[in-house]
Amino acid sequence: MLNPFTRIAGWQAFGMGLVFVIITGITGTFSNVAFDGAIDMHLGQKLTVAHSFQFLAIDILSVVVIMTFTGLIISKEFRIIDILGTMTLSKAPLIIFAIAGFFTVSPDMNEILKNPYIVFQSVSFILVTIISIPVIIWNIILMFNALKISCGIKGNKLAIAFIIAILISEIISKILIYNIVKI
Amino acid sequence: MLPTYCPSCNEQLKVKCLHCENCQTEVTGKYDLPLLALLTSEDQQFITRFVINSGSLKEMSAELKLSYPTVRNMLNEIINQLKKDEK
Repeated sequence: MLNPFTRIAGWQAFGMGLVFVIITGITGTFSNVAFDGAIDMHLGQKLTVAHSFQFLAIDILSVVVIMTFTGLIISKEFRIIDILGTMTLSKAPLIIFAIAGFFTVSPDMNEILKNPYIVFQSVSFILVTIISIPVIIWNIILMFNALKISCGIKGNKLAIAFIIAILISEIISKILIYNIVKI
Repeated sequence: MLPTYCPSCNEQLKVKCLHCENCQTEVTGKYDLPLLALLTSEDQQFITRFVINSGSLKEMSAELKLSYPTVRNMLNEIINQLKKDEK
């Protein structure tokens, strides 16, 4: 559950991860869930299938590129396919949030801006938001273990490198989504 | 399993006596243990399987049912241990 990468990595992980990502992308489109950041997701966004997949592609690519650079800095040897495969498979938990999106109606953003307390009137919205917390944590733990196994590093060096890498990935994914995806 | 460290003070052991079971000859002296003998039995087993698999990490990962980077990390840990013992 938390570290499948001791048994699955490389192309096998990439193939499995891709299946999860495709299902997540399609499900997210119809449940109005946008994965608009490396570790970010939002409810109530009307998207096309193309937008949904653009978001996910940018998320995965930004994480893979930054983690690869991190690997080059802190590790002696690693395979890019292991980073690509394990990081793609790390996205698997997002499918839970994509499905959860079907069970909630997100309050209108303009209404929230007028009265932020309106979100507390939607029990399903609060529940799905609460569900998103363990999903994000699970996703982050998987990415951490993906870097650990792929690059063969551990300890403080791994923890510090991962935190910096994930923050940079999030920033880059946001910039790319803002500039590339036209909604 | 060959003991490699002193059970009393945990210092690395040396070989003092070797015995021939055929003619009962005993060779005494002060010999260092081979580097590979200092590894744990699991690590020795790993190295044995690694050599049998022609040094192929891919074949090792299939045999151990572990991912390629996991097997490579296991090998790197053994290499680090050998380098430490070598000093």
